[in-house]
Amino acid sequence: MPAWHHFPIFMITVPLVCAVLLPMLGYFRSKWVPYAAAVPLGISTLLGLLMIGRIPSDGYLSYQLGGWAPPWGIEIRLDFMGYFLMMIVCSISLLALIASWRYISKEVTGGRLIAYYTLFLLLSGSMLGFVATGDIFNLFVFMEILAISSYALVAITGNRNAVRAAFKYLLMGAPSSIMVLLAIAFLYSVTGSLNMADLAGKIQLSEYTQILTVAYILLVVGFSVKAALFPLHMWLPDAHSIAPSPISAMLSGLVVEVAAFAIIRVTLSLFTTGAEGIIAGTVDVLSIAAAAAVLFGGIMAILQKDLKVMIAYSTISHIGYIFLGFTALTPEGVAGSMYHMLDHGLAKACIFLCAGCFIYVKGYRRIDQLKGAWQQMPFTCFAFALAVWSVIGLPPSAGFVSKWTLIVGNIEAGRELYVVILLVGAILAAVYCFRIIYYMFFQPGEEGAWENRVHDAPRSMLIPIWLLSIGTLVFGLTWFIVERLIEAAKFLL
Amino acid sequence: MSWHNLLHNYHYIGAMLLFCIGLYTVIVRRNIIKKIIGLNIMETSVFFFLVSIGYLEQGVAPIHVGEAQASQMVNPLPQALILTGIVVAVSVTAVALSMVILLYQQYGTLDVDHLMREEVDEEKEKEEVEE
Repeated sequence: MPAWHHFPIFMITVPLVCAVLLPMLGYFRSKWVPYAAAVPLGISTLLGLLMIGRIPSDGYLSYQLGGWAPPWGIEIRLDFMGYFLMMIVCSISLLALIASWRYISKEVTGGRLIAYYTLFLLLSGSMLGFVATGDIFNLFVFMEILAISSYALVAITGNRNAVRAAFKYLLMGAPSSIMVLLAIAFLYSVTGSLNMADLAGKIQLSEYTQILTVAYILLVVGFSVKAALFPLHMWLPDAHSIAPSPISAMLSGLVVEVAAFAIIRVTLSLFTTGAEGIIAGTVDVLSIAAAAAVLFGGIMAILQKDLKVMIAYSTISHIGYIFLGFTALTPEGVAGSMYHMLDHGLAKACIFLCAGCFIYVKGYRRIDQLKGAWQQMPFTCFAFALAVWSVIGLPPSAGFVSKWTLIVGNIEAGRELYVVILLVGAILAAVYCFRIIYYMFFQPGEEGAWENRVHDAPRSMLIPIWLLSIGTLVFGLTWFIVERLIEAAKFLL
Repeated sequence: MSWHNLLHNYHYIGAMLLFCIGLYTVIVRRNIIKKIIGLNIMETSVFFFLVSIGYLEQGVAPIHVGEAQASQMVNPLPQALILTGIVVAVSVTAVALSMVILLYQQYGTLDVDHLMREEVDEEKEKEEVEE
């Protein structure tokens, strides 16, 4: 077995193991903790980069944990789409971690600071595992690690609003996890298997279609709460706006997408081959909910006064895009969803970190406080403008590529109405984004708002922001990745 | 599926009833500690369901000693799953209860409606300050 076959498991376990070791380091050398926390994520990213070009788009890498052959042992099953998302997760979480060095020490101190970095590593490690695993119970376990660490991270500052937002998140998240567990129990009771590839074969032959339908609905509802799809989104605006900004970037840029990927994965690799009858109705409902999410998120974002709440509503709208893509069940639609995850991860993480910069430097949260901001904080504002370009989906940005692919996918499935909704969503995005751009660049600052000449955000925050915003431009030119994603989707459908 | 089958598998009905009771408690009860108890009832119902899948009348422990037949052995996998599930449930409950402590310290109430009303009040206060 060549050495790179072992890379995915190291990408998952290195952050998780280091998360456990970090408190020990914190006991002896608490000042090293922030920098030490970047090492495991750096290793994961490096291992991921070394795997570029090795995962075929029409196949997968199967890794058997402990040498136990599937369907008995736990399998890591990494296809091109999973590898693509793993790369997004580890690179964006590395950048968010670097950006939180200066930011978070202003909000929490002492033991909580160490807890923050521990939970951060747990969150990113569990996301990597969640994407890569080929075992459905393992998926549940990683989802719970992910969920618990994100509840705790939302509440990390310990002030009353943060704890309330986190508790709201928990009250919606915990029942949804139990629904997923119940669905897994149903699947196990009718097929006797937990390995996804094995399950897919058994579902085709199974005669218990009613139980399978219920299991699929429970899985979709459970993951939709984590992904904040429209009627189940109530926790998101609070949690994402009150959490510390790097955590908002992680939650909004990665956690919701990873949950959406779980639905894509369950739909495509468990149910599409030979079991279309089971999922047809649910997928229709999903696309209606997604269309509603695009419109609702966009309109609510326009109405907001608080910058971070506005970005949170914009996330709801973009989750709608991701769901509209793969529910078309065409290769282009699925590829568009995956590419939109890249675009949304980069752009939303960048925007939330920029909002973090404004909070860090001046403590400004409201949109009208940002008038004339570019004269004082030019680097932050220009990075913000670049990322916003991608949120709207104007060429040449990653947002344009993904929306183009989504529209092509929906036209191929003959869903013209949803194409219209995608375009309306882009117009709504333009409205809420250009409002901020207008305030930032074309309005004079309010009297006294920027009086004492402030410096731009510290370099450890600006470098991740600029890397993310340049990323949105670079990935606007890489159409070959879209082609490979389409091939990978064809292999699954 | 006929009624006979359903009656034979009465433990499934029990598990689903428990699940619904738990979900009802989580959604309807106003006290947040009761909501957490409801969560635990939901979790327990799923564990109960999983254990009952693996149950075999007069089954033996799945350890291969001497004469034991594989067909008489209890399915060990659901039990292993539940052990993991219990650990997960305990940690979720722990996080939830620690949040309840923080909430009670800062708001002085465990009533969800009251917590949400405070949210509205704060927003109003903010607007008043702005005006």
